[in-house]
Amino acid sequence: MTNDKTMTKPGGVSRRTLIKSAGALGTALAAGTLGAPAVWGQGKKTIRFLNTETSIDSIRALKVACAEYEKQFGTQVIVDSVPLDDAFTKVTTSLRGGQPYDIATFAFVGHVLLLQAEGQLMPLTELTSKHKWGPKILFPVKDEVYWYPYDYNLAWIYYRKDLYEKHGLSAPKSYAEMLKNSQTLTGDGRFGSLFPIGSNGATNWLAPGFMWAEGVKLFDDKWNVALDNAEMAPRVTRYLDFFAELYKTMPSGASQASFGEVLSNFSSDKVGHAAYAGRIIEALERNAPKLSTQYGITPYMDSTGKAKAVNHGYDGWVVLKTPNSDESMKFMAWFTENQYINFLHTAPLHFQPPRLDVYDDPRWRAHPLIEKHKDAVETMRGFITDKSIILTSIDTEGPAPDLRPGKVFEGFVIPEMLQNKILKNMSSAECIKTAADKMRKLIA
Amino acid sequence: MSSKATIYGFLFVGLAVTLALIVAPAVYAVSLSFYQMDSFVGAPKWVGFANYVAVLQAPEFWRALLNGAIYALGSIVFQVILGIGFALVLNEAFPGRNLVRGLSILPYLLPTVVVILTFKWMVDGGIGIVTKAVEAMGLPPINWFESPGAAMASTILVSVWMWTPFVTTCFLAALQTVPQSLYEAARVDGTTAVQRFFHITLPMLKPILTVVVLLRAIWMFNKFDVIWLLTRGGPVGATENLAILSYRHAFNLFDIGGGAAIATISFALLSVAVLIYFWVFPLEDD
Repeated sequence: MTNDKTMTKPGGVSRRTLIKSAGALGTALAAGTLGAPAVWGQGKKTIRFLNTETSIDSIRALKVACAEYEKQFGTQVIVDSVPLDDAFTKVTTSLRGGQPYDIATFAFVGHVLLLQAEGQLMPLTELTSKHKWGPKILFPVKDEVYWYPYDYNLAWIYYRKDLYEKHGLSAPKSYAEMLKNSQTLTGDGRFGSLFPIGSNGATNWLAPGFMWAEGVKLFDDKWNVALDNAEMAPRVTRYLDFFAELYKTMPSGASQASFGEVLSNFSSDKVGHAAYAGRIIEALERNAPKLSTQYGITPYMDSTGKAKAVNHGYDGWVVLKTPNSDESMKFMAWFTENQYINFLHTAPLHFQPPRLDVYDDPRWRAHPLIEKHKDAVETMRGFITDKSIILTSIDTEGPAPDLRPGKVFEGFVIPEMLQNKILKNMSSAECIKTAADKMRKLIA
Repeated sequence: MSSKATIYGFLFVGLAVTLALIVAPAVYAVSLSFYQMDSFVGAPKWVGFANYVAVLQAPEFWRALLNGAIYALGSIVFQVILGIGFALVLNEAFPGRNLVRGLSILPYLLPTVVVILTFKWMVDGGIGIVTKAVEAMGLPPINWFESPGAAMASTILVSVWMWTPFVTTCFLAALQTVPQSLYEAARVDGTTAVQRFFHITLPMLKPILTVVVLLRAIWMFNKFDVIWLLTRGGPVGATENLAILSYRHAFNLFDIGGGAAIATISFALLSVAVLIYFWVFPLEDD
């Protein structure tokens, strides 16, 4: 066995000294790290903001706003940005870990409801009541609002106006017209349309619009699964049969297509139709300026040409019940009054304002892209003000805001129903039964 | 401090780190499987073995188990066959051998997310370079993910591309320990190259083969990142393995207890499989 002393070189450091030094350094670092929050606690106030808008512009706008707030009020606001999918886990684990976020961003009402039910959220009614809002956006619980929405991300259909003119087509108003137009645009190195069908959020958001236009409801007024009842089953069948035909005009890969693929295929002139919110216009402006004046937008349509729908989408902020709640509420009040429009401008056409006053606010309208695409903006506004347009989504279906449709959303029931029809060639009746059974299991 | 004390000191630190970072989270995960929990917020409700019963009764569990086995088996077979083949080639002398050896490890060095995103864009049905190349050759489009079989095959293909270099490196190292005298004696006896491979090379590689297959089996059976990034377990659950099913239950379906139960069963199954493997292929024999 080696003796410690034999390890010491003349004039060098012994192993024992080295280990002791390392231990002391580790202890000092650990103590410093553990002690740090206590030291911070004695200084200026700090609140933590979890952001899920990860574009450079949005992050920059938030940081500028937070710096301004700190300058004015002395409270530091630390912004952490994470992908949307990670937000809920991050918030719940931060709560569990004893260092909760004070403000967080969510895009799924189920998460808001779950935290509200556990008593973790501050009511924001005082802030939201200052303005008029679009439909189905505040999701109140017992007359209290627990989040502050900053956008609608409605999904509608984009088509190529120039190609429509070339082929003598008009904006589709029924399944048959949509199919015919998509078939007509297939060829010359281009596919007719791209609507995702994979088990992902993009499909949940972009594919069901045709189903809503057909008048499909997932639940009845008592939260029974309605998808396969006598009234809904024929409607879902029409939707599935139509989608199976439309699929034949799509490029291969629709089963894996997500948001990026839809954006890139439409903006690179590879498909004639796609569904999305305003982000496509921003992508065209950035990547294909020539096409930025060649798009048209229209809501999803039903089989008869009588009904129209857009698929719901939304984002908003919540304030968590933490020791900093009062300070967070002050920040939220300041931010929503002074920085709201600046933040919306970071994605001017994708962040469609849920607050109705914003549409007439000259500061918001002054953005060059909003000015340039004012016709599209008016159409977008019409999607939330025209009462004849159905506005719903998988996660907001049902008689009231609830976690149950959220489970159907996260269980990818509708995407799998499409996959069963299109990729596995199951009969529509079988697809509907499988989907309804899965829904019942998920919400049991 | 005596040498013994130093050894115990290091042992204690190692043990403490293992307990804190591996054993404690694993025990916590197992304990979660006995509770019903929507999220990490709120009071969990004790449900005993109900989560296990529910999981074992669900067809999705058995489908995920089968998918995991197919994916692991398919990946390992191709990785080992190709890995041995490449190692044999790289063990021969040829100009630029060191450069080729260096390049051959490249796929293993790339981050998974880079590989997967690149692959997805390459085979994109509208704008993918592979799609365009296939189109230019006048061939019908390849549906990489449009059927359950194709999706599984694509997932295995990517895994083989990414991890064959690891297997190649292991076998190449092992090949360099095989005494040349064995080959020389065999040549004198008039054996063919195939005979030398099966009677000298393969038996000499057996110890490393045993370890590589075991490691690859564990890693492939638990594989999450590649499948999640490529297919998210789709289409219609065709590539969903137990790791993905567990994640989806815990973090998508508001069923943390169910997710923990699946992870625990997966761990138990893998432990039993490893024990059986070592019983069938004992390392001591070599």
